[in-house]
Amino acid sequence: MGFMNIGIGGFVLSVAAGVMFWGIAQAEPLPQRWVSAGGSISEWVVELGGESKLVGVDTTSQHPAALRELPSIGYQRQLAAEGILALKPDLLLGSDEMGPPPVLAQLQAAGVDIERVSVSPQLPALQANLQRIGQLLGDTKGAQSVFDAYQQRLQRQQQWVSQAQAHEAAPTVLLLLGHSGGSPMAGGVDTSADWLIKQAGGINLASHQGYKALSSEALVGLDPQVIVIADRSLEGEQAKQALLKQNPGLAATRAARHGRLIGLDPTLLVGGLGPRLPDGLAALSAAFYPESQPLTADAKLTP
Amino acid sequence: MLRAENLAVRRGPCTVLSGITLQLQPGQVLGVLGPNGAGKSTLLGALSGELEAAQGEVYLDQQRLAQWSGSERARRLAVLPQSSTLSFGFLVEEVVAMGRLPHASGAARDMEIIGQALAAADAAHLAGRSYLALSGGERQRVHLARVLAQLWPGVEGQTLLLDEPTSMLDPLHQHTTLQATRTFAEGGAAVMVILHDLNLAARYCDQLLLLDRGQACLLGSPAEVLQAGPLRDVFGLEVLIQQHPERGHPLVIAR
Amino acid sequence: MNLVVKPRPLLIALGVLLLCAFSLSLALGPVSLSLADTAKALLNLLGFPVAGAEQAQLIIEQIRMPRSLLGAAVGCVLALCGVAMQGLFRNPLADPGLVGVSSGAALGAAVAIVGGAMLGGIPAAISPYLLSVCAFAGGLLVTAMVYRLGRRDGVTHVGTMLLAGIALTALAGAAIGLFTYLADDATLRTLTFWNLGSLNGASYPRLWPLLVVTLGVGLWLPRRASALNALLLGESEARHLGIEVERVKRELVLCTALGVGAAVAAAGMIGFIGLVVPHLVRLLAGPDHRLLLPASALAGASLLLFADLLARLVLAPAELPIGIVTALIGAPFFLYLLLRGRA
Repeated sequence: MGFMNIGIGGFVLSVAAGVMFWGIAQAEPLPQRWVSAGGSISEWVVELGGESKLVGVDTTSQHPAALRELPSIGYQRQLAAEGILALKPDLLLGSDEMGPPPVLAQLQAAGVDIERVSVSPQLPALQANLQRIGQLLGDTKGAQSVFDAYQQRLQRQQQWVSQAQAHEAAPTVLLLLGHSGGSPMAGGVDTSADWLIKQAGGINLASHQGYKALSSEALVGLDPQVIVIADRSLEGEQAKQALLKQNPGLAATRAARHGRLIGLDPTLLVGGLGPRLPDGLAALSAAFYPESQPLTADAKLTP
Repeated sequence: MLRAENLAVRRGPCTVLSGITLQLQPGQVLGVLGPNGAGKSTLLGALSGELEAAQGEVYLDQQRLAQWSGSERARRLAVLPQSSTLSFGFLVEEVVAMGRLPHASGAARDMEIIGQALAAADAAHLAGRSYLALSGGERQRVHLARVLAQLWPGVEGQTLLLDEPTSMLDPLHQHTTLQATRTFAEGGAAVMVILHDLNLAARYCDQLLLLDRGQACLLGSPAEVLQAGPLRDVFGLEVLIQQHPERGHPLVIAR
Repeated sequence: MNLVVKPRPLLIALGVLLLCAFSLSLALGPVSLSLADTAKALLNLLGFPVAGAEQAQLIIEQIRMPRSLLGAAVGCVLALCGVAMQGLFRNPLADPGLVGVSSGAALGAAVAIVGGAMLGGIPAAISPYLLSVCAFAGGLLVTAMVYRLGRRDGVTHVGTMLLAGIALTALAGAAIGLFTYLADDATLRTLTFWNLGSLNGASYPRLWPLLVVTLGVGLWLPRRASALNALLLGESEARHLGIEVERVKRELVLCTALGVGAAVAAAGMIGFIGLVVPHLVRLLAGPDHRLLLPASALAGASLLLFADLLARLVLAPAELPIGIVTALIGAPFFLYLLLRGRA
């Protein structure tokens, strides 16, 4: 019995300590002025309702368009300590790519909290990120429901792809990242391009590492059924025309003959799992499997 | 005092200079004559240590030339090359002041010497001007002033080597320059000067060395060297030799 | 043509200019500090504890001071090495890059940045140091090769060295190109930014090596001022004036390799300072190295500090790479000097 007593006493004590700690944790004020570095991270902050807290973003934070109005702190790997301090932030939120390290050390010394989140395209990582952002916003529940909805959409996407594959063969695909149609680089294995193609149910024909320029001849030789164009300066029809004009050899591919050139927003290729990804995937897969009823109403063969 | 013993210089497989034995005498001007390619500048290069001797030795004050330390040697031996490639806008007196680099004689003494050397080279009026603004002949005189300043005032034991110091000068300055060289030698320094003009050589040199295809053809007084036979053999030039009506030295006239 | 200013007034004026540049560099930045706070922070820094300006003190002591020191040192050493190279090559258009130190450093940086990324990333704590060490080593290595290639029979042929420098620069360029090809997007951007130079992230531990090298070069080169003057006459003329020409050339190349190597290692590639500053100072001071060297050191430091002020203020809170600013100021100014000289 004596043993039990002590046990209960210990339990009570630890509960009391826990409650006290809880109180302290709650008492600590939430960061009010945020600087965000990393495109998809800023997007998620906005998605979780934190847009009003952002006082500065990096150059990769382009979505939603309102973020472009905020002061720019430059490229996420080349942050400037004093420039950021001038924004009087409580928090600098960014990815592992944020740097350089001495600047981060200076910021920390100046009392800025530095939060790093992962940008790997994995759901558990995303869940952790959203939870952390939710905590910092004081809204963990909201963050959890956003994550749940996101997860569901990706699951539905998976199901849709497997259903579509029952009726149609998976197309062979090349994703070309380019600039006004010139010197396009094909996304190979271990790239976000490869990940997107697979998630949308396509077969990536590029087997090299990273993004590499392919010769016109190699492009024709691979003869993809679908070409995804991620152009950094042109959109839609213009991007397609520019690509065909600068790489006449492409006209001989099945993709060009059957008009299966698809535009893709190149910003979807960076920064891991962003909030716009499910829409992008749905559009891609709708183009990969034209016979199947699109998953979302607006996932037409665009742009 | 500069002395060469059985000196030979090779360039690649060719021997461009051989069998030169000569001693520069204090207070005297030795003129070196010879057609293009005879080895005049090679001789000057070998005597100044610029070119390595394939054979023989050069002695400065009884010590082998190579054994002198840089500034010790520079205080005894000054060299004026044929042309200079200075392309920076130094003032004239700054160029001449470089001649004082091997010395530690103090700024005041240096200034004095620079002025005297400039005057000796008839370039005193150029002081204060940028070197780059000078004509070719003026630059040549400034460099002469520089090497004069390097040995100033010129005493026994010092040697001055000049490679065609008059090549860019007008007739008057050809004479004033060589006269200045003579005057400088009278202080005791030994001077060797490469010349193309046989009459200038006859007038201002105590000794003449006639070079032909890398070998010493004749060494002696102007009267001994400037004779129709050797000049025909070496230069392939038919000449008459007369005596200068006032000064008595030989006068070379092409036929 | 002759804009020659008397030595003492010129040095005093340039000294005052540097003092102004340094003070402005401490006083101005994206964070605006009140004059009182700045003064308090400076007093603190000088060892007179004054309370009540912690934020200002942090910014000045930990951010602006190391950055200003870095800028002054980089500008000073680049300008000095520019003078040394223009003297060695007897050409007022020579640049420290001619002996291969810049391209070697760039290659070293490419190896560190791209190689590090390909090996799965270097821990963040050591990557800046690794980058600096690789850049410095690359600069030294290529310069040593250029120097070695220029030597024959114990004599360094400056002309051969120049050509060897061009050849090795091209070779290093090819190697950098290969690394660029292998690099992924993010690595590529890091490399590009490095090539544009920056004083961002200056910290004391990374500053000391450069300060030591700058001090060394700054004390050594003026001892060779007369030799540099004589070298301008020509190598054989310098020899006849008693200069140990081979030794001087070796020292000049070594000083440049160390100086530019350390500057590039600490701040990346910063162009035009080594070319424009000596040229500009020569217009004011004449070609005499006894004045040219100290005047260029002061002017180079001032110019780089002013350029850095622009770099951090123009786009604040973001920053412009300083190489862009120096080229943007330097190139038109250089053209102006050329055209004016011709008229």
